[in-house]
Order: sequence, then structure tokens, then C-alpha cells
Amino acid sequence: MHELSVAMGIVERALGVAEDHGAERIERLTVELGSATHVNPDQLRFCIETATDGTPAAGATVEIERVAPLARCTCGWEGDPGTLEAAMVYAPDVRCPECGDRTELVRGRECRLAAVEFPDEASPTEGPRPG
Amino acid sequence: MTHHPNHGLTRSLNRIVETPAALEALVDAAIGPLGLHRFGHDHDHDGDEPASDVEADVLAAVRERAGEVHETLAHDHGVHCVEFAGSTGGGKTLLLERLIERAPDDERIGAIVGDVAGEDDATRLRQLGVRVENVNTGKECHLDPMLVSEAIESFELEELDTLYLENVGNMVCPADFPLGATCRVLVVSTTEGDDVVRKHPMLVQTADLVAINKVDLAEAVGTDVDRIRSDVETVAPGTPAFETDAKNDVGVDALADALEDGREHDHGEGDHHHDDRDETDHHHHESESAHRH
Repeated sequence: MHELSVAMGIVERALGVAEDHGAERIERLTVELGSATHVNPDQLRFCIETATDGTPAAGATVEIERVAPLARCTCGWEGDPGTLEAAMVYAPDVRCPECGDRTELVRGRECRLAAVEFPDEASPTEGPRPG
Repeated sequence: MTHHPNHGLTRSLNRIVETPAALEALVDAAIGPLGLHRFGHDHDHDGDEPASDVEADVLAAVRERAGEVHETLAHDHGVHCVEFAGSTGGGKTLLLERLIERAPDDERIGAIVGDVAGEDDATRLRQLGVRVENVNTGKECHLDPMLVSEAIESFELEELDTLYLENVGNMVCPADFPLGATCRVLVVSTTEGDDVVRKHPMLVQTADLVAINKVDLAEAVGTDVDRIRSDVETVAPGTPAFETDAKNDVGVDALADALEDGREHDHGEGDHHHDDRDETDHHHHESESAHRH
């Protein structure tokens, strides 16, 4: 439901990176999307493609990599939280298999721009700009 | 759509990329036809916090903003902030009205009410003498911490004791958008069916309290309240559930007491919730402490 605003955030970040590299065009965007979010990967791809229209990222290949959740418990247990069987849709099981306490998700809730690729000729050859 | 463009984030993103990006660009030029910038997971830039994730991760940035709202309200101004989330027609506004009716005369209360359109809810709360900021989200189906951040600017925070946030009626999206309240109350009603919790597990997992409302109608609509309770325990272990009938003002005292218990957190527990910044769900970590510490 909120893929468009999330996509615009991703595109904004990617364009910032391209500008910083002096790139006129972005060829590929890679986004890591946690499974424990309500962001739909197909819709996110569509929204990113739409949001890049008329920008240096127009026509870029959009890769969405799913990130499996990782849970951590105060008892020291850490691992795949597994899936709630009672749930009618995907949801992590946040009960610790060791001690029964509630775990904290340390991975699986991200929607992050992982990589931006652009044509080689656009790579900056000068040193970092002052800033 | 870019009503909250986060210019600050973009600026600091640029700052982060500069030095390592130039190095990467040289490496890329040597080994391949493409320039590549890959964000590090544990990019220890400036040696402080793993800033790159917050800045490359749209949802982490949202959680960061929610943390800032919490900081402003709870820590800077001692305002106890409670959010009500849940579906349209579940009874969020009526429960809020019941809580406001109960408040001591000297409690200074404000409310931020989100709806896609209109100000019906805001009008209802204003009639109780509460200062209300109405936020019409337009295209968005949920409040987000950026909208809340803008809305709280219209309040004199020094003159507030309690701020209620009423989210847009929605059982999905608020799961990804904490607002920075000390406590999120999820209102589910018996008329939504006794599978409502299992249908929306990830939202339930972000709640600090669940109010099962309209218990007076449970029998009429064939809903098993105990099943809702046991589902809450399965999906989000340790989350307290309260049975309420807001219309007849039944069960609201217990909910009000639990929320008052959470108020102490705002003044007493310091900054421990920032210990594992960005590694955990901010909102949850903070708000859990209201009830579990």
C-alpha cells in the first residue's frame, strides 16, 4: 500500500549517489527488502520503474533481493524466527525457541538501497569533492 | 507525492558516499565496465553509528524519524504520547473519547487525528475541549512520523501532558510506520471476526497493548473473544490485551490504568532505548519498555 512513497525514497537516494559520482545515467538499482515488511516486491519494482521516469535512472534494471528475518533473544539465542503457523499470511514467529521470551528482529524489516551501478565513463576520476 | 522530501537525509547521504565512493569508483574502473556503489551494512563512517543503513534504508529512516518524535515529546517535553491504530469502525475514536472523559480536569490533552479525508474524528474530540490537529493524508493510507513531526509543531508542547495520535483506519501499513508514541494501542473489534489478529500479525507485533473492543457484540456476531486473546499471545507474546465495550463504557478503566502506568516511563527511564540504534525496531524497543520494564 505504501510502495510508491517507499520507491520515491529509494530513487531519491539513488539519484543522490549518481550525482555524487557524476554519473549521467543509472544502469541498475539493487534493493534489499526484508520479508517482515508489508512492502510488496513486485509493486515496489513497478513503483521504482515509474518513479525513475524522466530521471537519470530511467530504464534502469531494478533488482529486488529478499532478506530473510533474523531474530535475537536476550537469552543469547539468535536465528531464523520461522513462520507463524497460526497466521494467515507471512509473519515471523517472535517467540524464542530456547527460552520462550519474545525475540527482537534484527534483520528482515529493511527496505534499503544496496547498490547503484552506472556506466563506467561516468565514474569520477577526480578525488572526493570537499564537503 | 514528495510532501516530505527529507532533504537532510539526502545531504548526509552524499556526505557518507564521498570518500569511499571515490575509492570504489577507482576500483570499479580497474575491474569492470560498470561503476558501482554498494552500501556497506556496517559502514562505520565517522566511527559513531552505522549511519549508512539508516540513510540507504527507507524504512530504517522512518524508524529513525519516529525515534526523533519520541525524543521531542517524551524526553524533551515530558509529553505522554499514545497512538491508537486499528481498522476503520473499530472504535478508536470512541475509546479516545472515553479516555479523555476520564482524564483529570487539569490534564492538558492534545490529539493528532489522521484520516484520508474529512475531519469527523477531529470534530468529535474537539467537542470534549481537546486541542486537535487534523491531518488529512490524501493519498497515504497511514500516518507517518514525518507528518506527526509537522503536526506537533502547532502545539505548545510545554503546555501538554498527553498527546493522542489516532492513526488512519488501516490494519496493514502502520506496521511499517511507527510514529514515535510511547505506546501503540491496537484496537480490534469483535465485529472484525475472531481471525482478525491472525490476518494482521505484523501489525499486532508492533502494538504495546491490544484493546478488543465491542465485546458486547461478540455473541451476536459469533466471535470468540478468547480466541482473539490466545492469538495475540501466539503472535506477539507478552502483549497485554484488554476487553472493552467503549459504547457502554465498560472495561475502559483497566485500559486507562495501563496507559497511565506507561506514562512513568517518559520521565523515569533515561535513554537506554538508544543503545542498539538501528539494529532493532526503535519504536518497539522504546514502547515495550513502557510496559515490560
